[in-house]
Parts: sequence; structure tokens; C-alpha cells
Amino acid sequence: MNYNWNWSIFFDQSPEGTGTYADMLLSGLQWTIVTALCAWVIAFFLGSLVGVLRTLPSKTANAIGTTYVEIFRNVPLLVQMFLWYFVLPEVLPRQLGDAVKQMPDAPFYTAVVCLGFFTASRVAEQVRAGIQALPRGQRMAGTAMGFTTYQTYRYVLLPNAYRIILPPLTSEFLNNLKNTSVALTIGLLELTGRARSMQEFSFQVFEAFTAATILYVLINLVVVVAATFLERAVAIPGQR
Amino acid sequence: MTSSPMPAPTAGQPAVDADHAPKDAGLQPGSLVSGLPKAAPGETMIAIDAISKWYGEFQVLTNCTTKVAKGEVVVVCGPSGSGKSTLIKCVNALEPFQKGQITVAGTKVLDKSTNLPKLRSRVGMVFQHFELFPHLTITENLTIAQRKVLKRDGEDAKKRGLDLLARVGLGAHAHKYPGQLSGGQQQRVAIARALAMNPVVMLFDEPTSALDPEMVGEVLDVMVELAKEGMTMMVVTHEMGFARKVADRVIFMDRGEIVEDATKDEFFGSPRSERAQTFLSKILQH
Amino acid sequence: MLSNFDFSVILKSLPYLFGQGMVFTLSLTAMAAAGGVVIGTLLAMARLSGIPGVWHLAKGYVELCRSLPLVLVIFWFYFLVPYIGAYVTGSSTPIQVGAFPSALITFTAFEAAYFAEIMRAGIQSIPKGQTAAASALGMNYWQTMSNVVLPQAFRNMLPLLLTQTIVLFQDTSLVYVLSLTDFMGAASKVAQRDGRLVEMYIFAAIVYFAICFSASFLVRRLQRRVAIIR
Repeated sequence: MNYNWNWSIFFDQSPEGTGTYADMLLSGLQWTIVTALCAWVIAFFLGSLVGVLRTLPSKTANAIGTTYVEIFRNVPLLVQMFLWYFVLPEVLPRQLGDAVKQMPDAPFYTAVVCLGFFTASRVAEQVRAGIQALPRGQRMAGTAMGFTTYQTYRYVLLPNAYRIILPPLTSEFLNNLKNTSVALTIGLLELTGRARSMQEFSFQVFEAFTAATILYVLINLVVVVAATFLERAVAIPGQR
Repeated sequence: MTSSPMPAPTAGQPAVDADHAPKDAGLQPGSLVSGLPKAAPGETMIAIDAISKWYGEFQVLTNCTTKVAKGEVVVVCGPSGSGKSTLIKCVNALEPFQKGQITVAGTKVLDKSTNLPKLRSRVGMVFQHFELFPHLTITENLTIAQRKVLKRDGEDAKKRGLDLLARVGLGAHAHKYPGQLSGGQQQRVAIARALAMNPVVMLFDEPTSALDPEMVGEVLDVMVELAKEGMTMMVVTHEMGFARKVADRVIFMDRGEIVEDATKDEFFGSPRSERAQTFLSKILQH
Repeated sequence: MLSNFDFSVILKSLPYLFGQGMVFTLSLTAMAAAGGVVIGTLLAMARLSGIPGVWHLAKGYVELCRSLPLVLVIFWFYFLVPYIGAYVTGSSTPIQVGAFPSALITFTAFEAAYFAEIMRAGIQSIPKGQTAAASALGMNYWQTMSNVVLPQAFRNMLPLLLTQTIVLFQDTSLVYVLSLTDFMGAASKVAQRDGRLVEMYIFAAIVYFAICFSASFLVRRLQRRVAIIR
């Protein structure tokens, strides 16, 4: 094989003129993390709401929750990304559509909303599973004590369900983080996109991708360690 | 007929969990019930009037009618699947029913204008599997509904909760989580939790069926004490010793119907129905 | 608004979208799933083998794949495969590999990590007594695996394997980043050529939804049947 390794490439100036290639990758990492965190906020709250809807006794609530999950789970993320980015501004009333198109950092906001709604459907499934895994008597006990439905969820069901689903939620968070890379297709300057740019500018393919790989592995480790600490912090004495 | 099936009191029993036993004092003297209005004799507390319930096509309750007077203790028994648990859950509308009406302390259960959370907050319920909230400490379990439903001040709620906890002999466990207590201890906390709401009626749904035999006594002690203090109680149970000791009336159910509704003496003396006789002979054999 | 929604664009491009795009997508999905399950099963066995080196390697590979975004892996393989080809054939220059084989290698290798986790759970779900019984009958490791453990594990995990295949089907749309003509690639090429992004992307979404929704509906039915038989 005749590939010319050049690990010092990271200290060369990138042709964009904003610093070295290393700076370029690190700024990509930053976008990846910020996008993932913002999207997660939407995903967590919207997903919890949709998941709860699917466990309510009301048929209408169930139908709304199920429809949401089915729609967002059965269309590829890339297609959803394009729908938000290219299609939504066109189908909005003209003025609003134009305003959306001219928004600064449009790829970022689009990616956040798209990933948030997409990941919400997956969070919803976990929340539903967590609530359904609780003994039926817990809901009854809450109700019997005079809690309203909202109070039963707020004080009894959700605190327990979230504890149960912490491990799968962690992997959904990691999926969400990895999925930010799909937003490179709409121009988000996240880590994978930056590695790809570095490869295009410098032709040092494998250095660029190796660096990106290491960074992804590192964030994964950090998240997993943080999740372990979180699990320990919220563990209930005497259980399991 | 067997001799007294009532298990011995807790004191002197082998400890289930050596760590907890020394701190478990068992039932303490003092009153469990407070703020209960003086009973006007014969006043009806629960009126169950011709209720029927279906799960889809399947009828689980058929035309059940009975009354529980203030201060009365009524034991509901019958073979499994007879609908007794379903009936008791209809009283606070945990289970919906399609026909008939239940009136609790003057409030109609099956009525759109009824504030069900408010009604339920006045009806204490104890479950087969305790249903303490596992993520809350014992103190929090005792206070959360007082604070969130009755809107009591945090300190008052805590005082009332801890007071009751001490009465059931578990004052030393206030800071623990339910998972750290034995089944019998958890069930006593559950009773205290229900009592903390100052209920006018207590419902017990097989409160001892999920317990190891050696823990049944400590829970029954608390229930006997409650009955003595004049609490209106409806108790689904197989503990015929308890029924014999404190029940005023016994209701026998089979296949969703109330087959027999008699005073304790009538029921144990000479049950009229053949089904009740068969049931009694089976349950009292051992 | 949607008043100037042009159906004729979709109609005209149907042969291209399905004849070329969807055929690419479905073949890639089917072949990558088949390959992924086989390699995934081997990875799962390796990981459970307890042989030092072997299980470390399998675990490392699976964990690495699972911590990387698919888009990055697609780029990795796109540039790496020619070099691997050169290494294998002893050529001194990178070997040019066609788009489809390159994509196939990528998805097979990547999805194998996910299938491996499913098969690992499947193998671990088989009671120890089953392997003991097989050994008692004189079977060796491979006989036990192929005759007793894997058939049961595969059966138990079938709904999950199929669900993962639906995910794979959706994931193949990401070959867009290599400008390949899968279904989504075809749709976006037409969209850009005719300036009809709204029509083409909405149509693509509907087609993906229809396929994935029906497929997952069937998987759920299968799941219920498997659950009853067990």
C-alpha cells in the first residue's frame, strides 16, 4: 500500500483561514455536542408527553401518541431532514417561509428541530414501556389516595419509569448524538462533515477520519460514565 | 372447627430481617384514628345499590347490593375470581361499573359532578401488594398525598405521618425506603399512609395475602385495633380468624354475586347457602 | 402553498425511482441484512466464546461500530475499501470498487455489529440446560451451536432481527452522501434536476412510510404469534 501518512497535518492551517485543521475538527465537535444537547431537550419533553399519551385510558390520547410515533419512526431521518429543510419553507405561507429560509444558522435550527422530533418518537416508546413495566397497583394506589391523573404521573409513575428506562435512554441519547451527522447533508458543520472537509482539502483521508473516530469514541465514553454516575445517584436503596 | 386461627402477636416472633427487627416495636398503644366524627348509630357509610359490571361481554359483578353502617366492620370473602376485589375497588371508583350506584358518606360515586379525587382522599385503601411508592422514603410516602391532595402544610403532614408511623411500631424506619422493609412492615406503613389522610372509611383488599405467614399477625393486629377504635371498614380477606374476632357482618360472594350477607354469628353458625358452606368447610379445614 | 403541487413529475419519474432506485435500496437491504446476520452471529459467538483475544476483538469491533455515526463509517469504508482491495490482491495502487459493492461491504460490516448484539442476547436467552443436554448427548461446540442453540436463539430473536432490518432499510438512504442512486438518491436527483423538491421529498417520505409501516405491522403480528407458541 502506498498511502502517505502525515499526522502533523492537524497543525497545518486549513484553507478556510479560520485556524488549523485541528481547530476545524474541534469546532465540528462543538456543533455536534450543542446540536445533540438542544435536540435532546425537545426529544425528552416531547417524547415524555407522547409516551404518557400512549398510556392514558383515553382512546383519543392513545391514537395521537401512536400516530406520532409511527410517523416519525417509519420515515428515514435523512428524508425527515430534507422535509424540514427544503419542503417546510415552501409549504408555509410565503412570508413565513421566506423568513425561515433567511434565518441565520438555518441548518443548525433545522437539525435541532428535526432530531428533536425524530428522537422524541424513540423516547416516547421508552417512556411508554417504562410506565407499562410498573405494577398496575401503583397507578391504583396513587388514584386511591386522591391524586389526579396529572399528580399520579408526576409523583408516582414518571419518577419510577425514568429510573427503569435510564439505560435505554442513555443509548437513545447516544443515537441522537451520532444522528447529528446526518445534518451534514443540509450543511451543518458538525464533526463528520468537518472531517470530510478536511479530507477534501488535505487529501489526508485516514488522519481526518481517525481523529473524528477518536473524538466520537471519547464522547461516547464520557456519556456512558456520566450515565453510570447518574444511575448511581438516583438509585433507590433497597431495590434490586 | 379449628381453634383460633389468629396468629400470635408480633412480639417474640423470629425476626425476618435481623437488621430491622430490633427497631420494630409492633403495634403501640394510643389511637390510630383521629378526627372521626362521632358515630350516629345506624348511619349508612357505604351504600352499594344494585351494581353490575362487565369486562366487555363478560359480567364480573351481578346486581350487588349491600350497606355498611358507620363504625361497622364488614368482611367480604369468597373463592378467587368471585368478584370480591372488584367490588371493593368499585367503592372508590378504581374500577368503573356500568349499572347501579354506590354512595359513600353521602356522595354518589357514579355521577359526573362528583369530584372523584376528593372522594378518594376520604376513603383509605390498603392493597394486597402494599403499593408503597418505591422511590420515596417512608416519611415521604406518608406525607405526599397529605401535601398534594389535602394541601396540608409540610410540617403538619410530617407530624401526622410520623405519629402514625410510631403507632404502628415503625418510628425508627422513617428515613428508609420501602424496599428496605419486610412485607409486613411495608403493609403497616401502607395502613398508616391511608390513615394519615383522616379517612372516614377504610377499604382493605386482601391485605395479608401477599405476606409470608409469620408477618400476617403484625398487620392483623393493626387492623383489629382500628376496628376497635370504631373505624368503618370493608375488608376483603381469607383470614376467618380476623372475621370471627372483629367483623360485624360477613358477605360471601361467588361468581360476581353476593350470595350471603349475614351477621358474623349467623354466617359462622349456620350459613344458609350451600356454596358458603362448601367454602367455609374448605377454608377452615386446615 | 401546495396549490402548484405537480404530480406529473412523480409520475414521469416512477420507472427511474423504482426500477433503479428502489431496486438498489432493496437489494442492498436484503444482502446486507443476510450478510450482517451471519457475521453478527459469528461476532456474538466470538464475544461469548471467552477465548482471550477473540472475545476482546469481537467486543472491541462491536463497541466501536456502535459508537460511530453511520455517515462517518460510510466515508471510512468508501476510502478504505480500495486500499483493502489492493492489500488483498497485492496490487500497488488502490483498487477501484464499484459503488454497489462498496456500499454493500459498508452496510454488512456496520450492521453486523447491531445484529451481533441481538444474537448475543438471543444466545444468552437459551437456558444453560440446553447446552448441557446437548453435551450430554455427545455433541461438540459447533454441533451444539448449529443444532440446538442457534436455531432457538434465531427463532426467539426473529422479530428483533426483522425490526433491525427495517432500520437498515431506512439507513440505506444515507448512501446519498456518496451520491449513489438508491431510492432517496434517485428522488433527490429528480428533485434537483426538475426543481421539484417539495413533490419528490414528500413522495419519498410517503413511500418509505408505507413500506416501513407495513413491514413493522407484519413484524408485530409475527411477534404475537411467536409469543404465543413459546
